[in-house]
Amino acid sequence: MQTIPIPHVDPLPLPGPVWLFTALLLVVFTLHVVAMNSALGGGIWALWNYLRGRHASHPYSHRLARELASMLPVFLAFTVTLGVAALLFVQVLFGNFLYASSILIGVLWLAVIPLVMVAYYGFYYFSYTAEQGKGVSGCVLAISVCVLLGIAFIFVNNMTLMESPERWLAMYRAHPNGWNLNLGDHSVIPRYLHIVNGAIALFSAILAYLGMRKMKVDAEYGRWIVQRSALIFTACTGLQFLLGMWLLLAIPRAIALALLLDPLGGAVFGLALMSVIAAMLLILLGSLAEKPSSLVYAGFAMSLVTLFLMVCLRYLLRLAYLKPYVNLGALAIRPQIGVIALFLLLFVGGLATVGYMLWLVARSGKAPVTAVAPY
Amino acid sequence: MNYPLWQLAIPGGMLIALVAVLHVFVSHFAVGGGFFLVLTENLARRQKDAALLDYCRRHSRFFALLTLVFGAISGVGIWFTIGLVSPEATSTLIHTFVWAWAIEWVFFFVEIAAAIIYYRTWDSLPARDHQIVGWIYFVAAWMSLFVINGILTFMLTPGRWIETQNFWDGMFNPTFLPSLVARSAVSVILAGIFGYVTLPRQEGREKVARLAALWMIAGALVLPLALWWYFARIPQFSRLYLNGVLIGVRHAVRGGVGFTLLALAIALVCGVWKPRWMRAPVVALLVICGLGMIGAGEYLREFVRKPWVINQVIYANDVRAAQMETLQAKGVSHTANFLLTDDTTSAAYGENLFHLQCGSCHAAQGYRGMRRRVEGWDSEFAADILQHLPMMHGTMPPYAGDEVDRKALGSYLAALNPAWHFEITDGNRLEVGERVFEARCGHCHSVNGNFRPLRGVFENQTPAQVQEMFPALGAMSPNMPNFNAPDDQAQALAFYISHEAGKPLLHKPAPPEMPTGTTHSQLVRPAQPRLEVR
Repeated sequence: MQTIPIPHVDPLPLPGPVWLFTALLLVVFTLHVVAMNSALGGGIWALWNYLRGRHASHPYSHRLARELASMLPVFLAFTVTLGVAALLFVQVLFGNFLYASSILIGVLWLAVIPLVMVAYYGFYYFSYTAEQGKGVSGCVLAISVCVLLGIAFIFVNNMTLMESPERWLAMYRAHPNGWNLNLGDHSVIPRYLHIVNGAIALFSAILAYLGMRKMKVDAEYGRWIVQRSALIFTACTGLQFLLGMWLLLAIPRAIALALLLDPLGGAVFGLALMSVIAAMLLILLGSLAEKPSSLVYAGFAMSLVTLFLMVCLRYLLRLAYLKPYVNLGALAIRPQIGVIALFLLLFVGGLATVGYMLWLVARSGKAPVTAVAPY
Repeated sequence: MNYPLWQLAIPGGMLIALVAVLHVFVSHFAVGGGFFLVLTENLARRQKDAALLDYCRRHSRFFALLTLVFGAISGVGIWFTIGLVSPEATSTLIHTFVWAWAIEWVFFFVEIAAAIIYYRTWDSLPARDHQIVGWIYFVAAWMSLFVINGILTFMLTPGRWIETQNFWDGMFNPTFLPSLVARSAVSVILAGIFGYVTLPRQEGREKVARLAALWMIAGALVLPLALWWYFARIPQFSRLYLNGVLIGVRHAVRGGVGFTLLALAIALVCGVWKPRWMRAPVVALLVICGLGMIGAGEYLREFVRKPWVINQVIYANDVRAAQMETLQAKGVSHTANFLLTDDTTSAAYGENLFHLQCGSCHAAQGYRGMRRRVEGWDSEFAADILQHLPMMHGTMPPYAGDEVDRKALGSYLAALNPAWHFEITDGNRLEVGERVFEARCGHCHSVNGNFRPLRGVFENQTPAQVQEMFPALGAMSPNMPNFNAPDDQAQALAFYISHEAGKPLLHKPAPPEMPTGTTHSQLVRPAQPRLEVR
């Protein structure tokens, strides 16, 4: 039998403790997923409402599509920015697995870069032209959304492939030029659908939150958003249970059992189930009333908690997959204490700077128009 | 050897170069252009110049569309590409500098947020606040350049890090400062060049045109000094590449200087003197000059690091220096993780080795293609010469494999071209001799040039005397391959060498100092033959 080739770990020690890299990875990846779900789920929402809003009988849809249009490029900007951080930290811990699987699907993996540019410029085009209601806007947005769906598919292929070293050699020998996909893995399709459906669900929860805020300026429009997004959130979350079950069944039995029977894995799984049910009930109950109540806010918060738990579960699943090949506890460590401290300091400073700029923007929104002089 | 090798139709290094040049072009504009915007906005507001302010607003939209999308995403593109082409080196950089990248990411995050706010709030933010956001943008952008510059310069001049493996030694390495100044100057030049892209058609045209030219000139005044400082700090072997021996380097130097001077000339003529001449085609030419300048600079920066990707740590083909002995002792077949075949006697194994060892810089054909380089080689000679790779211009890493591997790769290389058969006559003897010289000797020697000249050895010798020396060549120096050409070719070669060495020299060749690879290999540099000028 052919041995399974695993690239050896870098001879240099890790420049920080494993727990710190893990924590940073989980946090930035969660934020990345929030932004990604906003870009992808928001793109789908915008497209649907743009098409619906072309009829005069749906003015709210038209308005929502227009409002989403200006947000989409920002969502995508932060998807990329936060994704870079996640990519950085995952390379530290699992670089030897990620580089290998990326090379195996090299052509498609590199295609992500021009594809993101296409989607990004499409979003910008849509945001500049949506107001004018040109027919071509819808087409461009549809292309952007399709491209994002394609990128998600490439990512799912790579993220599953990096956890399956036993597939690598045969795949490499079949196509050393990087024209591979991991479709031989039965979990790829359900995982992909789970992620796309999850993106629509999470963005619906975000939209419910935005709708609640909107109600303060335009009660009827805000209520329309809340109720509509609550409905989609509930439907998608219901579907998510089925897709989740499919995914669990598609994962090799031993790995699924190892994950769920592990005290930590089982606990995270149980908590995620509880929190998603809570999110669903809260958003549904909150939105049903004539005047949606603040339960929607709680439901939105619970959906974010669910997302974080799912991200943790995904990490534990990766550990379960890679258990025969990786032992993070055995890695040599030589922490660069001074640089870590500097990073944390600058991180806080960076957040404060962004907060300050947002405060400037918020303050200007409240100021009377006369305060904004041209010079 | 550790990772699967992505087999592309082009050398992997070329792919990195393509992505990197485009990214560097836009990302330096992202730094300089931010500075340009915030200063020009300030000028417009102080002078209450509505046309100039309107220009800033339009320019900021162009700026955001180019830098936020293309600039930022192509930067991620470099990450993706280096991970695919040089995973070993990427891993080492990550293990050394992950916190530097994390810090850079903080600045990047602030930069993106500030850019979005800046270009979207011309109408809503008070003048002072808007400029504050602009300054935040510029500082964050320049700081991200500051950090990345440390990692980039580390790759050529790791300095004391080699002994200490201390983060700060690697970061603030010998070329950190000169490179930072040079990159900042380039950013200022690019700010001027791109400033023309949104040049107003009517009102304010002349003012903007002159302002942009001023930026280009200011950057161009600092750049040569910074580059001179930079080249004074790079390693000896890198400096030797610039002495004119290598054609590619020569072209790059000329191209870089030429593009920069042309851009300056355009700025002076169509920017300062006759702003109405600054039409779209001229602006396009200016942008191309900017790209050419960046392309040449990046080419040189990458080239002078050869044969390393990280100096003294990892070779350009992603093989660790520390792995070399194991690879040469045990062979690739017992060391590499991802081979396409297990049969070390097959032709497929030779091809696989070629991709593994040479694929980062060479393809079988095309740019840096091997087919024309191995013309006239037989498999024995090819296998032999693989032992002496660092002697060939010093740009090549040592061969990482055992004897079986050398034979397999030698056979593959020799098979790229059919064997030579000449009908040698008195009429073509010199011409054939020259071709044999190029194939057998020309990779490491010239007869009369400054490239390890052989004149001193063979001067005043008859063809027969020259040919007598051939069988002993392999024993003359550990860096010489054995001579095994067929008799008729040997005869032609001897005739050519004797003929060339006997020619009167018109001028004294440049000193024979050149990169030999001895800075980075265990091989001994041969004693240079003494050159006498008639």
